[in-house]
Amino acid sequence: MSAERTTKEILEEKLAGGERVPLYNPEALKVIEKELEEWKNKTVREKDRKNWEITPHTILGSGIPRRLTYTPLDIANIDYMKDIGLPGGEPFTRGIHANMYRGRTFTMRPLPGAGTTEEMNRKWKFLIEQGATGLSVALDLPTVQMFDSDEPEAKGHVAVVGVPLCCVDDWEVAFKDIPIDKISYSIVTHFPRNTAILLPMYLVMAERRGIPWDKLTGSVQNDIVMENLVRGAIEYIPPEDCFRVQCDNIEFIRKEVPQWNYITLNGYNLREYGTTGITEMAVAMANGISIVEEMMSRGYDSDWVGERIAFFWAFANDFFEEVAKNRAARRLWYKIMKYRFGAKNPRSMWLRTHVQTSGASLTREEPINNIIRAAYHAMASILTGTQSLHVSCFDEAFSVPSEKTLLPSVRTQQLIEQETQVTQVVDPLAGSFFVEWITNEMERKVLDELDEIEKMGGIAKAIASGRLHHKIAEHIERENRAIESGEISVVGRNVYKSEEPEPQIEVSAYQPEVYEQRKAMLQKVRDTRDNEKASSCLRALVDACKRGKNVTYFTLECARANVTEGEMRKAFTEAFGTWKPPFML
Amino acid sequence: MAEGKIRVVMAIPALENHTKGYLTVSGMLRDAGMEVILLGNELPERVVETALQESADVIGISTYCGSPVVFGEDLLEAAEKKNIREKTIFIIGGIFPPEDVPNLIKMGFAGVFPPGPGSRREDIISCIRNAIASKKPN
Repeated sequence: MSAERTTKEILEEKLAGGERVPLYNPEALKVIEKELEEWKNKTVREKDRKNWEITPHTILGSGIPRRLTYTPLDIANIDYMKDIGLPGGEPFTRGIHANMYRGRTFTMRPLPGAGTTEEMNRKWKFLIEQGATGLSVALDLPTVQMFDSDEPEAKGHVAVVGVPLCCVDDWEVAFKDIPIDKISYSIVTHFPRNTAILLPMYLVMAERRGIPWDKLTGSVQNDIVMENLVRGAIEYIPPEDCFRVQCDNIEFIRKEVPQWNYITLNGYNLREYGTTGITEMAVAMANGISIVEEMMSRGYDSDWVGERIAFFWAFANDFFEEVAKNRAARRLWYKIMKYRFGAKNPRSMWLRTHVQTSGASLTREEPINNIIRAAYHAMASILTGTQSLHVSCFDEAFSVPSEKTLLPSVRTQQLIEQETQVTQVVDPLAGSFFVEWITNEMERKVLDELDEIEKMGGIAKAIASGRLHHKIAEHIERENRAIESGEISVVGRNVYKSEEPEPQIEVSAYQPEVYEQRKAMLQKVRDTRDNEKASSCLRALVDACKRGKNVTYFTLECARANVTEGEMRKAFTEAFGTWKPPFML
Repeated sequence: MAEGKIRVVMAIPALENHTKGYLTVSGMLRDAGMEVILLGNELPERVVETALQESADVIGISTYCGSPVVFGEDLLEAAEKKNIREKTIFIIGGIFPPEDVPNLIKMGFAGVFPPGPGSRREDIISCIRNAIASKKPN
């Protein structure tokens, strides 16, 4: 944090005073108060009166206590226009578009599993035929971790959970005949470093096909939280350097690929790793704040960077908490951009989200139940106006999804959209006393956690301190004990226990021959390229890291020279050195 | 086994990025009174070297994204080379296809723990204790 005051302090000052127009008239509230007291004493059973507030226990839940019922008294001081407003208008509680899904339905962005570059090409084409309007590039583990398919560490991992894409030639095969100027691609790069390495390969592939970069739409994650907090890895670079690469990518993409979303603040994986929806939002926003500060210190204004910041949330079991989460997040992000950073363009105050339904909430027992769980998660996210959605497949607890389980996942979304009619009304749950109350609660709690992170010195320092790592380890331990004791109910596991034998699930098997094929393929790339050029590009990359130049322009030159991913990873570690995350147990 | 606490080296394949299962099980074993050495991400050879240095009774592997069979084969082979295969107990857990379970048992893993029934805290702990008891000379 470079500012002297935290976001919470700034918002408290800037939003203090000013005339408020209460939604409920004081006389009505007085009558309600009196009637409520009487009703509690006469009608409500003593047992329910005693347990007026109950704390819900759910996987990944925040445990915000619930009253038996809610009335206007719980949101007595609400000012409709200031706190809720109209769809597409400030404070964007009700959504970022006036017509929401009537204008454009949520992007159905299935995550298409794994395979070789040729297999992925076929799978993507299948999904486009099924009506997918956006696609995700799920990378295999070596590609995610920045290792070439032929490094010893990659053995057993190549093409298992995604596609191997270690050099531009791979990207050309995987995207052959796919209209990349018409389909938006979420390239699931996760980390700042692999974004710096891989996005340029996509761009060079487009360049070779003659497609100008301003025609490309899509997103990368590019998130330090993923690289230095959520990820297990054999090597890390220090958080401060990782944060800088994240910002270099943003600067490069903003300038060179104007329609591309250069950062997805990923709450999802942190949440699924083990935390509450509150920490999920607080950490993502803390990173967002650190980014805007850094870009402003590089001389850009907050609108220049804010316009394309996107978020990625998990939607899990506690239905109304999830509903409130997205509404609260939109309002809070708006306040941060407007009042803390002085943004003028409404687009940069928008909190746009992709949602994936929670995988960690799904069970290996009776896996068909997971379709039902995911449908509730999906419904919650659509009721809160998410921009884009992926419904987790029911075989998540077994392996990466097969094509067979992908279909019900896409169908869940199509069914909600076409059959239930919930998309006709914008923010349909607004105005519920309970929903507005829990929205307020979530916002307040996120702001408090944000305050803690900012007091540690912002996202990079908070990660370096290890306090976030410990918070997660504690959550994992606590939650596991709560499931064991039955405090958290999991149907089929600890309540209504399954007597069924484990079902036959079709899983994608590891193909050992792929490793050998990949070795040969990469060897050919290294044998046929201009190796002098490749080494000079790598030397320039190391130099750029050390001298504080924007690294992404240098990884681009590496990609053009057919440098492979593993080679670039080594250049980064050579320049920045390594870092060890704190002991977590 | 040496006198005193059961010693467990816990590790994850070098590139595995999921560590939740690893942390969860490590915590369970520690709470059961075992000495847990957290190695983190490593190649099979390094896992075996560490087990040797630490005089570990047990090697525990947590995996999600990769093939447990490929890692398992290399791990057991490395243990064979260092002459600790016979005296060490190998356990493995994580997200993997059901058909990998019998294969891993056949290969020599004393315990295989995908999520769900049969992978509770007490299952894992008793598996280790029983395997150690059965290795003790009578």
